[in-house]
Amino acid sequence: MRRLLRARLLVPAGVAAGVAAAGLLTFTPAAQAGTAPSGSSSSASSLHASTASASVAPTTSGAAGSASAKAAGINPVTLPSSYIAPGEALFAANCASCHGTDAVGTSRAPNLQGLGAGTIDFWVSTGRMPLADPTEQAVRKPPRFNALQTLEIAAYVQSFTPGVGVPIYHVNLSQANLAQGQSLFTLNCAACHTITGAGDALADGAFAPSLHVATPTQIIEAIRTGPGNMPHFSAGNITNAQARDIVAYVHEVIQHPTNRGGFGLGGNGPVAEGFVALLIGVGGLLLVAFWIGERA
Amino acid sequence: MIDKSLRWVDDRLGVAKGGRTFLDKIFPDHWSFMLGEIALYSFVVLLATGVFLTLYYVPSAKEVIYHGSYLPLRGQRVSEAYASTIGLSFDVKSGLLMRQAHHWAADIFLGSIAVHMARVFFTGAFRKPRELNWVVGVSMLLLGILNGFLGYSLPDDLVSGTGIRIAYSILESIPIVGSYIAFFLFGGNYPGNGIIIPRFFIIHVLIIPAIIVGLLAAHLGLLVKQKHTQFPGKGRTEHNVVGSPMFPTFMAKTTGFMFMTTATIFLLAGFAQINPIWQFGPYQPYQISYAVQPDWYMGWLDGALRIMPSWEFVGWGHTWPLEVFLPAVLFPGIVFNLFFAWPFLEAKLTKDRAYHNLLDRPRDRPKRTAAGASVFMLLFMVFCASSTDVLANFFNVPLQSVLITFRIIVIVLPILTFFVTYQICKELQGYEAAGKRKHPVVVTLTPEGEYRTTEMAPHPGDGHEEIEPIPVPTFINLVPPELATGSGVRRVMR
Ligand code: HEC
Ligand code: HEC
Ligand code: HEM
Repeated sequence: MRRLLRARLLVPAGVAAGVAAAGLLTFTPAAQAGTAPSGSSSSASSLHASTASASVAPTTSGAAGSASAKAAGINPVTLPSSYIAPGEALFAANCASCHGTDAVGTSRAPNLQGLGAGTIDFWVSTGRMPLADPTEQAVRKPPRFNALQTLEIAAYVQSFTPGVGVPIYHVNLSQANLAQGQSLFTLNCAACHTITGAGDALADGAFAPSLHVATPTQIIEAIRTGPGNMPHFSAGNITNAQARDIVAYVHEVIQHPTNRGGFGLGGNGPVAEGFVALLIGVGGLLLVAFWIGERA
Repeated sequence: MIDKSLRWVDDRLGVAKGGRTFLDKIFPDHWSFMLGEIALYSFVVLLATGVFLTLYYVPSAKEVIYHGSYLPLRGQRVSEAYASTIGLSFDVKSGLLMRQAHHWAADIFLGSIAVHMARVFFTGAFRKPRELNWVVGVSMLLLGILNGFLGYSLPDDLVSGTGIRIAYSILESIPIVGSYIAFFLFGGNYPGNGIIIPRFFIIHVLIIPAIIVGLLAAHLGLLVKQKHTQFPGKGRTEHNVVGSPMFPTFMAKTTGFMFMTTATIFLLAGFAQINPIWQFGPYQPYQISYAVQPDWYMGWLDGALRIMPSWEFVGWGHTWPLEVFLPAVLFPGIVFNLFFAWPFLEAKLTKDRAYHNLLDRPRDRPKRTAAGASVFMLLFMVFCASSTDVLANFFNVPLQSVLITFRIIVIVLPILTFFVTYQICKELQGYEAAGKRKHPVVVTLTPEGEYRTTEMAPHPGDGHEEIEPIPVPTFINLVPPELATGSGVRRVMR
């Protein structure tokens, strides 16, 4: 069922009734970068001195990684084979009831073989798996397993199909170009996740979650694997360097917006602004009027 | 000396008589008469901050490479309009404060007009002889909404750009003439060849503000000429006005109110972010963000568009996009025509052609009150429908169910509101003391164990006391000392 949903492109439906009919929705998930000269990358790096390296990584050797990925600062992580045995035990206890022995899938849950360690890592580290209710969209929860256990499960599932699927990436953001990231994010992601990354409801009861908590590793995994109803973007759509720029934009700007101008109203736009203007602004002035003008 | 020079001016210009009438203009002492002033003063703030913005804003769609201090945009191609608005927000001293003050003032301006209009409507202040001033007021509301939309479009960011795109489609949806109007305004097919920003700019900063200033002058001129309405009360008739004179009482009040309005706007501007366009990025015709909503005063149009089922039919060699035309052209058209025509409609229905200077209590006109409440409910619900996606996301329910719920609510609730309001008015009519301050009551326990309540006289200063109004003096220098003091409440004949 979910697979079906995933197959077709979900058109954002909030504006759909009138706007889509008026021929407005031109959604092009292609990597059409704004033309940003590279001169800005040095200034970009000054923004995030502290956030260069991300999350878990036992060894970040590039055995499986192409040169372009490494040059872009996206380094595949090789999982040691000693992780496989404990991973098998964890999988048998927590996942096999739905995904079957050897992760080949059952009527309740899909086959996991060949998806790659990155897919497993995304679903487990965001707490989406193990799932409680298989009929609902899996949502982000506090993860059930710690970082090491997650990697062990990933190593176990990967061991059936070595080298196939999306690996776990370690992202180095020091070379990232935020301007490119801004433009690419607007083009490829904002249609669903909204321009401020606050997330929004999509058609058919699905929703795109907020991007305010995902780690750089999870963001790149989401881009490359396309979880649930999200389309996946291959290196043909979004190059490794572009993916890194998007990750940097989400991690450094969306998650830490420049909130000049006072209290940001949650990125909720004119609806929140309208309520403030009417309740605090006009409402407050009504009270003043009530106070100044007497009752007659 | 001062006296002499004043006389010199008066001998030549004859301003004393007019000035005297102005200073003696009587303002009834009721808080609801201050609502229009919120609109007046926020408009003044709009003018002042708008002039500041004009000094730095560049009304041009020409593409430049951004080099300002906001890192995530550096090196991107953006329009000059967008770059200059980002500049206003990051590089111009107090620019962001002014931008935000301008925007909050616009939201408050239109909000206070709506509240002011509700006061005039529910008290029947629009009746003969004030129909004209009602029409002037509705025109200002219409122009204000329009100007808000234009101003909102000027920064040329992704969110407002989507709004312009929608506006183009709305224009196009008008049968027969639509595409010509759209072509005329945009100077060609969407997005126009960069002509739209300069055009919107000149309409926004010059043409509409000038018209509004003119209408405002007419509005206030008529107010002085026709004198205020007043609520019925002791000593108040159709032929007099009781209240505080312009000078000194009302002058003090209204100046204080001006400062409070300005302060409220600038406090919001300083502490609450509005329209952070740097987070939205520049407008590109091929990009769209999802949670795009217009400012609140346009929200009801957006809401109507959203919940409209997609009806469209092909005939006479054309496609008729009813799903855009009905909610975005016909619906607001009907609403505004109803607003404009209401005083005349009501006079026709009630056959009441008399002069009215005394106001109605809303409960005494249950049909009008119910009709007003019902239209208000309709607009409010359509307004709420503009946040269908926000609601769906917040309550975690499917968007489709939210849409269907709204389609039902929008029809059922206004009808329900009409009957409920009507009934409430009728009930209130039957209970004279409703809304009045209660008398103190003493409860005593009799030796037999029975409780008795006795009504007491109001505490001094607690009950509402009418002060005997004093006639306004008619000549300069002729204020008899015994009149110059006293309560300050004055009366003038119409
Ligand atoms: C209650 C049953 C259940 C349990 C337990 C469960 N899963 Fe799942 N899993 C599902 C279902 C159903 C889906 C499909 C969900 C979807 O596509 O939204 C899924 C999807 C996945 C996916 C994504 C597959 C894809 O095609 O993208 C991964 C990876 C995954 N599960 C891993 C795990 C792991 C690892 C565990 C153990 C920690 C686990 N699951 C436990 C039911 C379960
Ligand atoms: C067609 C709509 C769509 C587009 C386009 C899209 N996403 Fe998603 N995204 C989703 C949905 C739906 C989910 C939730 C998947 C699930 O849990 O089943 C999601 C989940 C995510 C998550 C996980 C969030 C979390 O905290 O759990 C990240 C990160 C993410 N997306 C990033 C991106 C980025 C980056 C892009 C642009 C390259 C993008 N998305 C484009 C729909 C979309
Ligand atoms: C009816 C009165 C007016 C309304 C309702 C109104 C409303 C608005 C709004 C909502 C914006 C968008 C602000 C933003 O968030 O960036 C705007 C922008 C702007 N307005 Fe006005 N305005 C009014 C009058 C004026 C006047 C009289 C001037 C000039 C004398 C002016 C000059 C500008 C300029 C230059 C901008 C663009 C700069 C910017 O966006 O920051 N406005 N207006």
